[in-house]
Amino acid sequence: MDQRNSSSSTPANAPSFASTMIDAHPLAFTGSGGEYFRVWIVNVLLSIVTLGLYTPWARRRTAQYFYGHTQVAGSPLEFTAPQGKMVKGFVLLVLITLAYNIAANTGQDLAVALFLLAGAVLAPFIWASAMRFRLSATRWRGLRLQFAATWREVYAASWPVFALALVWFGVFLGLQVVTPEAVLNEETGRKMPQITATMVALVALGLVLSVLCFIRLEFNYSSLLVLRSRLGQEPGRWKPVYLDFVRIWGATALVFLLSVVALSALIGLVVGSGWMSLGRSPQLGMWLFVLIALAFVGGLLALFLASAPARAYREARMFQLLWDNIGVSQVARFKCDLGTGGYVWLRIRNLLLTLLTLGLYRPFARVSEYRMKTESVTLHVKGGVDQVAGTLVRQQDGGLGDALADAAGLDLIG
Amino acid sequence: MKASQEFTVAPGDLLPGRWFDGRSSQARPVLVGLQPTPRGPSLLLHPLAPPGEAPTVLRHAQVGWPETWSAQRPPPRVVVDLREHGSLEVDAVSEWQAALAAAGARPGLAQHMQTRWSVLLAVLLAAAIGLLLFYRYGTPWAATQLTRWVPMGWETAMADQGLQEMDDGLLKPSKLAPERQAQLRARFDALAQQIPPALHRYTHYAPQWTLEFRAGMGANAFALPGGRVVMTDGLVQAAARQGLGDEALVGVLAHEIGHVVHRHTTRMVVEQGVLQMGLGLALGDVSGILSTGSALLTGLHYRRSHEREADCFALGLMRHAALPTAPMGTLLLAIARDEDEDDKKQEKDGARSAPPGKHGSPEAAHPIWSLLSSHPDTVERASALQQGQAPHCPQ
Repeated sequence: MDQRNSSSSTPANAPSFASTMIDAHPLAFTGSGGEYFRVWIVNVLLSIVTLGLYTPWARRRTAQYFYGHTQVAGSPLEFTAPQGKMVKGFVLLVLITLAYNIAANTGQDLAVALFLLAGAVLAPFIWASAMRFRLSATRWRGLRLQFAATWREVYAASWPVFALALVWFGVFLGLQVVTPEAVLNEETGRKMPQITATMVALVALGLVLSVLCFIRLEFNYSSLLVLRSRLGQEPGRWKPVYLDFVRIWGATALVFLLSVVALSALIGLVVGSGWMSLGRSPQLGMWLFVLIALAFVGGLLALFLASAPARAYREARMFQLLWDNIGVSQVARFKCDLGTGGYVWLRIRNLLLTLLTLGLYRPFARVSEYRMKTESVTLHVKGGVDQVAGTLVRQQDGGLGDALADAAGLDLIG
Repeated sequence: MKASQEFTVAPGDLLPGRWFDGRSSQARPVLVGLQPTPRGPSLLLHPLAPPGEAPTVLRHAQVGWPETWSAQRPPPRVVVDLREHGSLEVDAVSEWQAALAAAGARPGLAQHMQTRWSVLLAVLLAAAIGLLLFYRYGTPWAATQLTRWVPMGWETAMADQGLQEMDDGLLKPSKLAPERQAQLRARFDALAQQIPPALHRYTHYAPQWTLEFRAGMGANAFALPGGRVVMTDGLVQAAARQGLGDEALVGVLAHEIGHVVHRHTTRMVVEQGVLQMGLGLALGDVSGILSTGSALLTGLHYRRSHEREADCFALGLMRHAALPTAPMGTLLLAIARDEDEDDKKQEKDGARSAPPGKHGSPEAAHPIWSLLSSHPDTVERASALQQGQAPHCPQ
């Protein structure tokens, strides 16, 4: 509170959040699907013409389109990452990928193992450097965001990874203890290992613990990101607890099971009736071959489709949890009224339309999802939006981390 | 500065704006002017308060100019990136865009494509043609050149590993009589010694020629990089069944030698790398199906052209050795007919096979199916071999 700008019109000695004037500013997205389609098709075309080298420019244009059309309390966000740093990061990424591919294709196993090991050890570092880069490239009313976590904090937050390794080490050790002697099978003459209930229970315990570790990792990273982010001199606020995350993941698993059951019932119905008509067909042999090929492709597609509602559900619930429970020090709170059912439905509709149009619907899908999420958030500010004092924040290095995170699927536009 | 003169002389050029200098979230009201300079417009900020403060001038390169996304629909406001000077919000977007154009702003290609359909369509056309040319001619050419720098050691390591994997899986030791093996090996060695200099693709490339025999994988032969050629018992038996002389088998060996001389396996590795990365980057954002699909189809096209190249090499080498190629064509057709009746065998990745037309029947294939084939149409190949010349071969 003492860091307030003295020229602010708000009383500087406000005692608590509730007692001062609070303005509500719903976030707005002023872009449109058709317009973003143009942005996207230009990016795709220039990427083709330049054999993919346009990628960093394309990413910057995309980020600038979405940021520039996101109005927070009447002021658009700004994406100010220097193009040069993004290009440098991208070129480094391409060189690393090339080196890895050459090593993998020519059977240099030691080099490949070293690459993978370095990737695993450096993953927290890469994540943090990407976040540093992205947050410091985000500006609102002239103030840069900043990710101020130290490397120590980042690696400390990664403890679930090491716990995971310990869990599986324990499981394998335990398995060796509880496994009974292999008995000789009379018929085959081979020694058959026996599987006991204790062994199954042990592996199941290992799986449950691993899932809990993954959730903990996600929780740690999310909370670190919010708590160590700063707008000017104001740090982020974070309320969710670990159990909130576990609950959402549990519900997501339930949604996944339900959609698998529903989809299998649907497939069973279609395939069942198709089988009946095939029975009368004279060219059964050829059809069978086509059918097996279709079943393989269809199986992959079915898994993708069955997980779609669960993925959308998790994203919606997580978005609600975060944007209902974070804020900026004592200055601002976010509230979110995203409808879970509506968002899941939108995602399924978008997925089907994108598949049907061979990907051409993607930009429209992206805009509609971004719009629904953005416009569900309301910013509540105590004492006016012009009171936050800035600090000297420079654009951070970390273009490589940003490019790597992007390649790993951590998109700039969430 | 002559900024005050500007203010009085051309008030229409000044637009109201809010300047955030980065020291707080509070805005300073300013009037914004754009001045043409040789390098593009420069930006003038006249603070309205306190009165009498000097205007700030920012050169063209000191400003991140926002892109115009739509010619018809301006956004409610634009933000101009002033780098370390903070940012500037302007509400009168249309006027801002007009003033920028009047001050001589030269938008880039991306913005032209963004705001004009004609430019977008022109680039679309250029991209389609460019993509076709690049993947049709550029990548194979680049792979051919890059392969010059691939050392022999890599090729032999790759070959050892590939053959080891196949020996563990699909292949078994040959049951062919040692005398017969020695007979064919002598023909193979003689053939490899006869390669005329004109047929050498890489001048300093000296493979270690060896012929090996294996059982399994039906009637087949394949070349490994570095000079190792493998022939299956099935192929020798198929030739015997057809009553064909050793010329048919020698022809197949010439084809395999062609794969080695042209270093097709190494070139394929390079081509696949370029394809997957290039198309993944270019089309990956449209859809994975599209990018993998086109990478797959283009890869198959490269394989077919490699097969044609090896056929041409075989024709050339056999002509040089004064041996007929017609028996090889007959063998090819016979195997394709047999395979059509039997189950189709899959071929192992990384190695290549010569004779069988793997996909479809020996009758002329439909053009759509030929796109999905790793080998050119069998009938076409066989008739070219029976005539002893092919229209697509360089003379």
